[in-house]
Amino acid sequence: MIIKKIIRTWVTAAIAVGLISVSSSVLAEDWAQIEASAKKEGALLVYSTTSRTAKAAKVFSAKHGIAVEVIRLKEQDLIQRAYQEAASGVQKVDMIVAEDWVAARELLANTGYFVNYVPPTARELFPKRHQNPLVLGYINRVFGYNTDKHSSGTPFKSVWDLTTDEFKGRVMIRDVAITGEHQNALTEWVRRSGELADAYQRRFGEPLVMTEPNAGLEFIKRFLQNDPIIMTSDTKISKAVGAAGQENPPYGMFYVYSKHRDKALKDLRITDNRQVDPTLGYYYPIVLQLATKAPNPNAAKMFMEYLGTIEGFAPWADSPGVYTPNPNQVPFKGDKPFSWWEKKMWYYDLDFAAANRGIVLDTWLKYAQR
Amino acid sequence: MRTIYNRFRIGLTPQRVLSVVFLIALGYLVIFPLFLMAKETFIVHPLERFQIPGSTIGDLTLSHWIRSFVSENSFTFFYRPLLNTLQIAFGLSILALLIGGTLAWLVVRTDIPMKNVITNAAIIPYIMPSWTLALAWIALFKNERIGGDQGIFTALTGISTPDWFAYGLFPITITLALHYFPFGFMLIGGALRNIDAQLEESAELLGASRVATLRRIVIPLVLPAIFSTFLLTFSRGLGTFGTPAFLGGPVREFVLSTSLYANLIGGRPGIGYLAALAMIVLGVLVLYMDHKIIGTRRSYVTISGKGARAGLVALGRWRWPIASILMGSILAVIVVPLGALAIDTFMLRPGLYSWENFTWHYWVGEASLSVGLGTGEPGILRNPELMSALGNTMKLAVVVALITGILGVLVGYAIVRMRGSWVSQALDQLSFLPYLMPSIALGAIFLAMFAVPRWPFPSLHGTFTLLVIACVVSYLPYAVKAGVSAIRQIGPELEEAAIMTGASWWTRMYRVIIPIQKSTYFSGLLLPFISVTRELSLLILLVTPTAQLATTITLRYTDRGWYPYTNGMVLLLVVIVVTCTIMSRRLMGTNIAKGLGG
Repeated sequence: MIIKKIIRTWVTAAIAVGLISVSSSVLAEDWAQIEASAKKEGALLVYSTTSRTAKAAKVFSAKHGIAVEVIRLKEQDLIQRAYQEAASGVQKVDMIVAEDWVAARELLANTGYFVNYVPPTARELFPKRHQNPLVLGYINRVFGYNTDKHSSGTPFKSVWDLTTDEFKGRVMIRDVAITGEHQNALTEWVRRSGELADAYQRRFGEPLVMTEPNAGLEFIKRFLQNDPIIMTSDTKISKAVGAAGQENPPYGMFYVYSKHRDKALKDLRITDNRQVDPTLGYYYPIVLQLATKAPNPNAAKMFMEYLGTIEGFAPWADSPGVYTPNPNQVPFKGDKPFSWWEKKMWYYDLDFAAANRGIVLDTWLKYAQR
Repeated sequence: MRTIYNRFRIGLTPQRVLSVVFLIALGYLVIFPLFLMAKETFIVHPLERFQIPGSTIGDLTLSHWIRSFVSENSFTFFYRPLLNTLQIAFGLSILALLIGGTLAWLVVRTDIPMKNVITNAAIIPYIMPSWTLALAWIALFKNERIGGDQGIFTALTGISTPDWFAYGLFPITITLALHYFPFGFMLIGGALRNIDAQLEESAELLGASRVATLRRIVIPLVLPAIFSTFLLTFSRGLGTFGTPAFLGGPVREFVLSTSLYANLIGGRPGIGYLAALAMIVLGVLVLYMDHKIIGTRRSYVTISGKGARAGLVALGRWRWPIASILMGSILAVIVVPLGALAIDTFMLRPGLYSWENFTWHYWVGEASLSVGLGTGEPGILRNPELMSALGNTMKLAVVVALITGILGVLVGYAIVRMRGSWVSQALDQLSFLPYLMPSIALGAIFLAMFAVPRWPFPSLHGTFTLLVIACVVSYLPYAVKAGVSAIRQIGPELEEAAIMTGASWWTRMYRVIIPIQKSTYFSGLLLPFISVTRELSLLILLVTPTAQLATTITLRYTDRGWYPYTNGMVLLLVVIVVTCTIMSRRLMGTNIAKGLGG
């Protein structure tokens, strides 16, 4: 008798749960419903690696009456914080605007703490490959030099130039040990070792003789043995490279191209190098992810939708070096469209990067210490 | 049954109850984190999975140990930073001893003029955040290696500084010594003051020369203070982070603390905590040597009462020249770095030093996207974010100072009144242990410990309470030292007299113990207060983005290259702290030296 009762209760409960989940997935498709629910939710909490998310949030709040708090965090800090909070059951964040998808996928998506969500505009306009994970925009990182010293043209045409005496102690790069995206990018140099070795042959007319297992790691070794200057931020690199009045300015490697937006304000004499063999740098996505236990999921979805529109992307569109997948966006004046950069720059293979970035990092650490 | 209970009750003296409570609390807050840290070195953490092929998160592993200690790369990963660390710690301790000791001797034992001014000024370098000197060194001596604007020295003289002078171990050692020499000055000065002049007079009567007296009497008597100074500066040298990060980075010279930081920030806590443990072991070794060498002598010194003051050495016509050189160099150490920071806050476009470029914008300007750096941030004094961060810092500093102050008295009371028992020794050493823990590691481990609910606390992630706990544990050594030295000077007779009149324990504390040594207790409050205001590495992992502190928010601005705001905030902090220190000295008769146990 009792057993029957228990079974009946369980079955009813199961049906109820099933109904609710079915209905909620049906409702999830209903954008009007999402908008209506969003208005009833509290203030949205966003973790973001880019400060411009806050600017977008301001306009969004004014427009929709939904309060948004944007917290800016460094890329690895963001991933670890989001991971730690979710793991300890205190997930207060609703969505993240994150970099280093290799690590974020591993820690936040594969663990189920965050999920991908594709809002209507993105679903309609973004090419499929930019939808999972949903890409807010791509950022490119370039090589750069001081235009006062090199007014007549590029000072180097191959990445291997940076391992020669002429560039000894003159190349600046953000510390690979704290920059996940650099680690990802350098795994591509390992994966495409053959092309990198060919570039060496083109530059010096002789084959590359290696002590490391492949040309990618060999480059890291030679580069570090050539006494580069390891920095903590791209802002500092662009400023050091571009400052006026230097006799022997340093060169920048792998700093974000969008720093060139400060050129006028800070009087920077800097330009990126568009003739580097075999890659002009690399690009990487800024991804949007929704917290699984987001307190305000509907407001988050609305904000994600907003960021995919031309209006929502405006804070990023006023500088070079950031590219939305939205095809209606007019490229920044003076910058090439993303399709151009995509052909000239190496990206990275997510799975290969995940499997190999440890080796890249170890090689870096091994030779980084003087 | 009744008698057993009664015996138990009588045996339940306040000091015994306190000792047990503190032993448990410190065990929980000091030993347990250490244990956790050690445990973490055997675990695969999320991002470490990339480096350990075939592992899954949470696996047990030996690879961190192998990698750090016995792999083919362990020299670069571990031993090299270790050697650099030791070199810096030794160099800075010896320099700090030399500078501090000489200064102390001049002030205490000679007829040098302006003693008061020198004494006050000599403490200020310690009050400033240690990395202000590093920033100033870069501003002064940077060369073309790190590009950008010229250093002031090169701009003035046209001479380019060599790399070894501008960056790396050399300037790290110098700037840290300039920051920590007040330790030597205060401790050795205190010891010199306490030497009974009769000893020296006797030596003189027996025909000993000045040098012989110094060698055979004065130096042996101040030896404990010398060793204390060495212990304090050496262990700080092991753990310090800001200065080696600023000055070592450009030439890629790493120390244990910077590799610890890079590993923690980079998501590799396994190797990170190994570096932290190595630092702690080194610190404990120094502590142990200190106990071995002077453990017996220290108690011998304390019994010698204070007799007449020795006659002062006459400096003759060198009085004023020496005094002016001293004042000049102390001022240089204070004014030059602060001045360099201040100038930057008034230059609209950084690095362009001219009157046309002068501005109040970074202090009181309105938010603007086109003026100066175009940050879109209002000036410091009207910036709600910065002001609330400053408010949080002050709130934290006051709360922490009060709690550590009270704990210091109580722990000190337990230690002194239980003297001779193992409990007293255990408490003494446990409460000093946090001094040897690198603060960034302590912060990280508290985060790991309290992010989840852990009895009796709920999840403290991102709470003010967590900041308070971390700071209290970290600064307890100062407060306990002050507490011990204060209580030690109060004979048990006073308390016994109070007991005879029927005063309860509370009354005794409140009416006898605390009033007598008021100034010492307040001195014990001062160091935690100062330390909180400039604390960065302990709290950087613990603050949540929504509730920032003055120092942590400053770091964000640095990353964006907004130096005028950063420098302005540092200046504000220094001004506030120096004012507080001077005021409390005037009002309460506090003395930082007492907080060091001097």
